[in-house]
Amino acid sequence: MSGRGGYLLSKVAWAIVTIFVVVTFNFFLFRVLPGDPAKAGTKDPRLNPASIAALEERFGLDKEVFLELSGGNPFDTQYFAYLGALSRGDFGVSYAFRDRQVIDLLGGALVNTLWLILPSQVLSIGFGVILGLIAAWRRRTAIDVGALSFSLFMWSLPTFFLGIILLFLGANWFGLPTSGRVTVGADYASFWDAAGDIVSHMFLPTLTLTLVLLGEYMLIMRSSVLEVFSEDYILTAKAKGLSTFRIIRDHALRNAMLPLVTLIAINLGFTVSGAIQVESVFSWPGIGSLTVQAVDQRDYPVLQGAFLLIAIAVVLANLVAEMVYSVLDPRVVEA
Amino acid sequence: MTATTQVIPTAPTELPRPRPFSSFLRNRVGVLGLVMIGVAVFVAVFAPLLAPYDPYARTSVTILDIYQPPSAAHPLGTDDGGGDVFSKLLYGARVSLIVGFAAAFISLLIGGAIGLVAGYFGGRLGSLLMRFTDFFLVIPDLALLIVIVAVLRDRSLVNLIFVIGALGWTTTTRLVRSQVLSLRERKFVTRARAVGGGDWYIIRRHILPLALPLMLANTVLVISLAILSESTLSFIGLGDPTVVSWGQMLNFAFERGAVSASAWWALIPPGLAIVWIVLGTTLLGTAMEEAFNPKLRRHYLEADEKAAVADLEPIGVTPAPVAGPDAPILSVRDLTIEFNSPSGPLRAVDGVSFDLRRGETLGLVGESGSGKTTAVMGLLRLLPPGGRVVRGSVLFDGEDLLTLGADQLRALRWSRLSIVFQGAMNALNPVRTVGDQISEALRTHEPFLSKAEVRTRTGELLRRVGIGPRRGSEYPHTFSGGMRQRAMIALALACRPDVIIADEPTTALDVMIQAQILELLEGLANEFGMGIIIVTHDLGVVAQVCDRVVVMYGGQVAEDADVATLYAAPRHPYTQLLLRAFPNVEDVDRTLRSIPGTPPRLDALPAGCRFAPRCPHAFERCAIEVPPPYVQGDASHRAACFLVETHD
Repeated sequence: MSGRGGYLLSKVAWAIVTIFVVVTFNFFLFRVLPGDPAKAGTKDPRLNPASIAALEERFGLDKEVFLELSGGNPFDTQYFAYLGALSRGDFGVSYAFRDRQVIDLLGGALVNTLWLILPSQVLSIGFGVILGLIAAWRRRTAIDVGALSFSLFMWSLPTFFLGIILLFLGANWFGLPTSGRVTVGADYASFWDAAGDIVSHMFLPTLTLTLVLLGEYMLIMRSSVLEVFSEDYILTAKAKGLSTFRIIRDHALRNAMLPLVTLIAINLGFTVSGAIQVESVFSWPGIGSLTVQAVDQRDYPVLQGAFLLIAIAVVLANLVAEMVYSVLDPRVVEA
Repeated sequence: MTATTQVIPTAPTELPRPRPFSSFLRNRVGVLGLVMIGVAVFVAVFAPLLAPYDPYARTSVTILDIYQPPSAAHPLGTDDGGGDVFSKLLYGARVSLIVGFAAAFISLLIGGAIGLVAGYFGGRLGSLLMRFTDFFLVIPDLALLIVIVAVLRDRSLVNLIFVIGALGWTTTTRLVRSQVLSLRERKFVTRARAVGGGDWYIIRRHILPLALPLMLANTVLVISLAILSESTLSFIGLGDPTVVSWGQMLNFAFERGAVSASAWWALIPPGLAIVWIVLGTTLLGTAMEEAFNPKLRRHYLEADEKAAVADLEPIGVTPAPVAGPDAPILSVRDLTIEFNSPSGPLRAVDGVSFDLRRGETLGLVGESGSGKTTAVMGLLRLLPPGGRVVRGSVLFDGEDLLTLGADQLRALRWSRLSIVFQGAMNALNPVRTVGDQISEALRTHEPFLSKAEVRTRTGELLRRVGIGPRRGSEYPHTFSGGMRQRAMIALALACRPDVIIADEPTTALDVMIQAQILELLEGLANEFGMGIIIVTHDLGVVAQVCDRVVVMYGGQVAEDADVATLYAAPRHPYTQLLLRAFPNVEDVDRTLRSIPGTPPRLDALPAGCRFAPRCPHAFERCAIEVPPPYVQGDASHRAACFLVETHD
């Protein structure tokens, strides 16, 4: 199957190009835009010129931005220094936490964000697929109208607002924890105590993100299934004397899942947007909170690193989705 | 030779086409959305008149003014700064609407331009532009928004509008491109290009007007996204600090203790206001999309089995003979099928009766829209949604298919009665191998077969239709059109049914393949003693393989005869004209004539004979009365025409 190999190779190449573009875009965004943040730290009026020079040298700001054209090594510039540092996993040093490496901050935050996103994705995709299937199968019945209204309403509800409502109810009525991932400074008697504490902290943020994503996935699945139900091979399956259950299981589901895989991948951006909002409402120490915090503190290395990490994660997840797709759909190799 | 080689005119009997605008007005969801937006616009415009306080006025507040619950003075209470929530709510509508509309307009310009160029000119430029679009589609928009806004020195509303607009164009681009791609190949565009129309002329005059409705629907949805983006940014604290917006109200209340103060009035109203406007635009956009994109979707699994059985009217003709060795395998009597339409039920098939004997090949002939495919789908109970059998009986080996229980019907399908669908291109599941789809039929109806037997039988079936058994492990997309059609026939043969119905089995295939497939069907019918119904508009096919012919016109049977009689002595004027519209090998010099006029529309059927308006021999009676089938010569020949009226 050289066709599939070639297909995957082109997808990997495209992912690499995309990441490279993101890196370059990221570099110039933080240097070209009017905020000029890289130099902001050196403009403090309390610093004397010697200190400024020392700071500039330390952060490499004394070099050319893109290409060194006045003799010397043309690649001895900020841009290539940035690329080199990135390739060593060096995202720079945080402005706000002076001695912390950005990569360390990002690593912990990414793990926390995955703790939020993964359960929500699994739950919302699972329920979304089932609800969407039922709604499409029972098109124009009360179930369908109900499911559609629910997802339209969820779609119109800003994630952060849903988070606030659930936080309000959860805190005032159920006494659930509303911030952080664990109780700070808690001393657990047993493993189950610790697990219980983690789950109770996860409950509200996960519920918020799941509800927001659920409507989206339900809509996608519904239209995908409706599309498949209008295909001639469904009529063939019916004429063959297959039961409705077997038509759905053996003929409709796999075809309906195809666009879903792609759309879940495209939707990752939506998921990340949701996670940023949920984290900021529930003070969840993930990459979204870190981003918002970095904005407040003008901590540009962290902001730049967080954005880069999010973008790379999403591009890689898309790549995985395309690989799954190529396994599910035999036609993909020709296309 | 002045032969006009036009075959049968194929003006389709279309259902009346719904007009987009009126169907939009009938769409209550869209009207609701429009009303919701209207309310928001009204509030935004008249905020200074409606609001009891000016949220921008500087007033002194004391600690006692903070988070006051709703009262007569403050209908929605006060916020963290002692401000009137209700007044701020009204003013907040201005920001949301301005940002929503202005940003969506920018997105429309950017997305429309990129999509238009990518779709119209295509090629390298097109694919480069789409790569660019994919890039923005992949990167999470909120993260990108935050990063860009964070480095902006000036977070004014205008800057926010530009950033939100400049990031929200990707869906528009995709939509416009796919619209333009499909429009570009349409006849009127290629024609305009052929007569020398310039690119921009064609785009302006032919493409944009047609792509515009869906672009507008998309833009309405982009508005809702832009409003959501602005409120999210404001909530995070990245909005314009100098204006009152709903996101900012939520930000201040949430950050400044509204939750612990249980001051729900500071949180719920601005949140619901965002929901209101986003829901309104989403409803409107979705309704517009549906109205402007009227794909009447088929749905093959919609509540079907019951619909066919319920409320059958009693048949109006002599019932078919029930049993006996000489009884036909399939007897259709008075089959009548209607479709729902906005203007009432349309009768697509009206009182069709015919018999099929074992080993016989029957041709069901007619123009497009004559109801021939609908008739066979109806007798199989495979009508699309909206269609139902209202009258008739379909005796299959003594059992009425129309009243059979769902389980019995399922058991009988394919094992005794199978069908080769029109256009086998899509009749096979693309993600399952051809062999797998054949063995599925065997496994379903002959569950006692071992795996090895199923494999052998599948291989044999494929060999029978001239496909190497090994190719059974391939997917349908690797097969040519003719091979797929043959695979479909192998599938139909799988359980050695008593009857096979083949709907246009050779249309869209080249002549050589056509001949092969017809020979195959004929050979198999003789070998296994199966009854075959071939549904076709092609009289050549009928002459080649059929024993009997049923000619349909306007949903009714015009003439029914054995094939020799029909070609030698057609009695119905329609049959006569139909035969003259076809080339004849024995009489090559004869002038071919197409039949003037078009078949009747289903919503405007003639009161009398359906063919009367096009019939050269029509007289008064034809316009008033529907002619019954009159027996001609031998009892098996019938024609529904007053010219050949006979009395039993």
